Amino acid sequence: MIPLILRRLVQLPLIILAVYTVTFVLAWALPGEAVLTDEGRQPPAEVLNALRARYHLDDPARFYFEYLYRASGAMWTIESLKGASGSPPPHVFDLGPSFRYEDWSVNELVASSLPVSIVLGLSAIVIALALGLTAGIIGALRPNSLIDLATLSVALLGISLPAFVIGTLLLLIFPVWLGVGSVGSWGRPIDMILPALTLSLPFAAYIARLTRMGMIEVLNADYVRTARAKGLAPSAVILKHALKNAFLPVLSYLGPACAMAMTGSFVVERVFNVPGIGQHFVGAVKNKDLFVIMGITLIYSTMLTLFNLATDALYRWVDPRIS
Amino acid sequence: MGRIIAVLAFMVAALIGVVATDRPRPRADLVWIEPSDFNTIDPQRMSHLPDLRIAYALFEGLVRWDTSSEDLHVVPALARSWDVSGDRLTYTFHLDPEATWSNGDPVTASDFAYAWQRALMPETGADYIQLFHLIRGGREFTDFRAEQLKTYADRPESERTLDAAHMLRAEADRRFRATVAVSAEEARTLVVTLIRPVPFFLDLCAFGPFLPVHPLTLERFIDLDPRTAALHQRHGWTKPPFLVNNGPYVIERWRFKRDMRLTPNPHYRDRTLARSKSLAVNFIENQNTALLAFRSGAADWHSDLEVDYIGDLLDESRAGRRDDLRALDAFGTYFWSFNCSAKLSDGRDNPFHDPRVRRAFTLAVDKNAIVDQVRRGAERPATTLIPPGSIPGFRSPPGLPFDTARARAELESAGWIDRDSDGVPENAAGTPFPTVEMLATPVGAHKDVAQVLGRMWEAALGVPSKVVIRETKVYSASLKKQDYMVARGAWFGDYLDPSTFLEIHRTGNGNNDRAFSDPKYDRLLARADNEPEPARRLTLLEEAERYAMEEALPILPIWHYEHYYLARPENAPGGLKNLSTHPRLIQYPFLLEVAR
Repeated sequence: MIPLILRRLVQLPLIILAVYTVTFVLAWALPGEAVLTDEGRQPPAEVLNALRARYHLDDPARFYFEYLYRASGAMWTIESLKGASGSPPPHVFDLGPSFRYEDWSVNELVASSLPVSIVLGLSAIVIALALGLTAGIIGALRPNSLIDLATLSVALLGISLPAFVIGTLLLLIFPVWLGVGSVGSWGRPIDMILPALTLSLPFAAYIARLTRMGMIEVLNADYVRTARAKGLAPSAVILKHALKNAFLPVLSYLGPACAMAMTGSFVVERVFNVPGIGQHFVGAVKNKDLFVIMGITLIYSTMLTLFNLATDALYRWVDPRIS
Repeated sequence: MGRIIAVLAFMVAALIGVVATDRPRPRADLVWIEPSDFNTIDPQRMSHLPDLRIAYALFEGLVRWDTSSEDLHVVPALARSWDVSGDRLTYTFHLDPEATWSNGDPVTASDFAYAWQRALMPETGADYIQLFHLIRGGREFTDFRAEQLKTYADRPESERTLDAAHMLRAEADRRFRATVAVSAEEARTLVVTLIRPVPFFLDLCAFGPFLPVHPLTLERFIDLDPRTAALHQRHGWTKPPFLVNNGPYVIERWRFKRDMRLTPNPHYRDRTLARSKSLAVNFIENQNTALLAFRSGAADWHSDLEVDYIGDLLDESRAGRRDDLRALDAFGTYFWSFNCSAKLSDGRDNPFHDPRVRRAFTLAVDKNAIVDQVRRGAERPATTLIPPGSIPGFRSPPGLPFDTARARAELESAGWIDRDSDGVPENAAGTPFPTVEMLATPVGAHKDVAQVLGRMWEAALGVPSKVVIRETKVYSASLKKQDYMVARGAWFGDYLDPSTFLEIHRTGNGNNDRAFSDPKYDRLLARADNEPEPARRLTLLEEAERYAMEEALPILPIWHYEHYYLARPENAPGGLKNLSTHPRLIQYPFLLEVAR
């Protein structure tokens, strides 16, 4: 397992560099100009020129290398080694400023929004596991029964209903009509329930299907029949022996699902006003906020790569048969 | 199985850990919703209405508006009094000796000089730099600094060092003190001389970009770039614990796109000014969610409601089924721009270069129908750029009516006549009128308005049209390059004077997206600039507006904006008191109070 982790860690910078380069090309190809505001006041040419020069918007090559130099931590390392003569930037990985939100750096945006997305994403996955496993097991015990059909239909709804419909509905029912919970705020555990539930539904549906399929297969296996034959209680058979193997496909799905839940919740973030990282993906491209686009993509690709690595490692740990 | 449970248990534990560290505060006395986080709270760089609003809670300028008055006149704030010289060029402000910054430092005249010099430096990126060019020597100082940076950039690498950049900055500082007519020789006396009498200068002194900043704090966040010699203001100073401000409130906490909490500034000299003990701003981008949040009681005020179904909400309001919607006449106008250049961007002749064609297209539009049937809001149909009645003493011209017969006559007088009876007018050479491309952006009602405009032009003039939708950033760039035929546009006034609107048609103005250039119009503005008598000056500006809106028509005005607030009625429980109803929409957060 250690060689695997080491090998992946060596690949990591190369993958990130490739992602950085592709993002850079795409971001520069975006039409429009970063320093122009969308509406109304436009400062005169000398101000615009000063801003372009400051951020190297007039020189793509320079922008590419300078940003890499700052964001990779190379600048921080070199300036720190120089010691007193230079002043190191405040962050090791300096992801630059935001054009649109001038009082914030990309580092601050990430620092404030990434934990929110991680918490929301993790909660959603936990809820999805609880819902999905339960539904899957119930369905697998009596395949093609009424209760199986019911859980499958609910799962289908969970996958196909868009989040803004479910989310708005939940907001209307709970905080507005019943007075439970709040709208548009974030911080208390209760604020998290509705968005996490909304976000979890498509994942829960998928997990339910995976579990159901896995369970149906495993329940017909010889070792389960043996376990039943030796007189074990049905609950022990299902939870202790069958689920252990039926869970493996779910586990391999959990890695990408976690990454998706933690970053791909733009719609849920908007409906529930969750201050997560998903909004920056869309907002930055709309505003052509170059540093935000580059910085967030770097963070996201690093996260995704690390998640895949973690999933692979976990998988081996849980199921030692895989080498 | 044990290992699977371990994985799940770890996830749950991580969750509990993060949730437990994030404890919310109790609800503030006054909570309001902004649709987006502030772009900046740096006074010299701001230009958005929400940014200005929060700045008025955090910073105090020389004067402030009496927001309950009809004419929005200014009253003393940091300046207890002021003298104006006989030629109305020199203003002497006497600062309140008790005024302090939130760290206890006294507020001095040099803090203003420092802030205004910042605004004049091109690298600061001040959106309103041109307002500071009304100060004598301001324009020249900006040019000097730009030139200084340009020559520096041409130096060989070895001569571009940190020391050289510092020397350049020191030279600029000396230059400012010597040539720009902002004098702070006495700590409590600020003397400003203008290039010409500016009747609205006191109004500007109340305006966000003219607010002072705390020099020592800002200096801690300045880098000099040895490569360009430009000053880099790092942004960290605008946040606690670093922010030092002089207004009635200080920031307790600011979490990006979540919320901002304000508490009274303990160093502010007048404790009675701040009405609420705590303020909170919630940033909610999704307007449906914002509406629900307001309805659930989580907020007392929504500062800018912008939904497609505003017409339905207004209907509910009129039927007495809701009492929380407040519609205010705003200080802005929605219009469509005509590209006035001689040639289109692809080299074709531009029919809209001819004012007769622009008049024809304006006369052909029924604005009442657009407001009633497309927008369905409380907007007022517009025939002028300046909302009538919004500026005391300024009489708006009637503008052009809806008159299809006159529209056809204007188009024919421009040589566009349907010569082959196919319904489309042709010019003398027989070329049919080109398909009018209407540039719009994907959000809001622009597309619907464009389609209705197109149908009205087709019906009245026989001219074909098509709608071109571009993303906002692309649209802005197209406007700047005059890469369009007609395009949606809007303008909001910044200060209480007609020139805040009329300047956008002046030749070479940075916001003249139409490339409109008319010597007669420019002459009228220039004469108004040099007219010392206020009444005569207003008459000249009225004539400029009349000429633009009845003869030259660089724009086709559609409606004067309406701004929508959500706030419960003043006397009801949870009602919001002291909201200003003046079209400038200036709200001082420290005056607002919730009825308990």
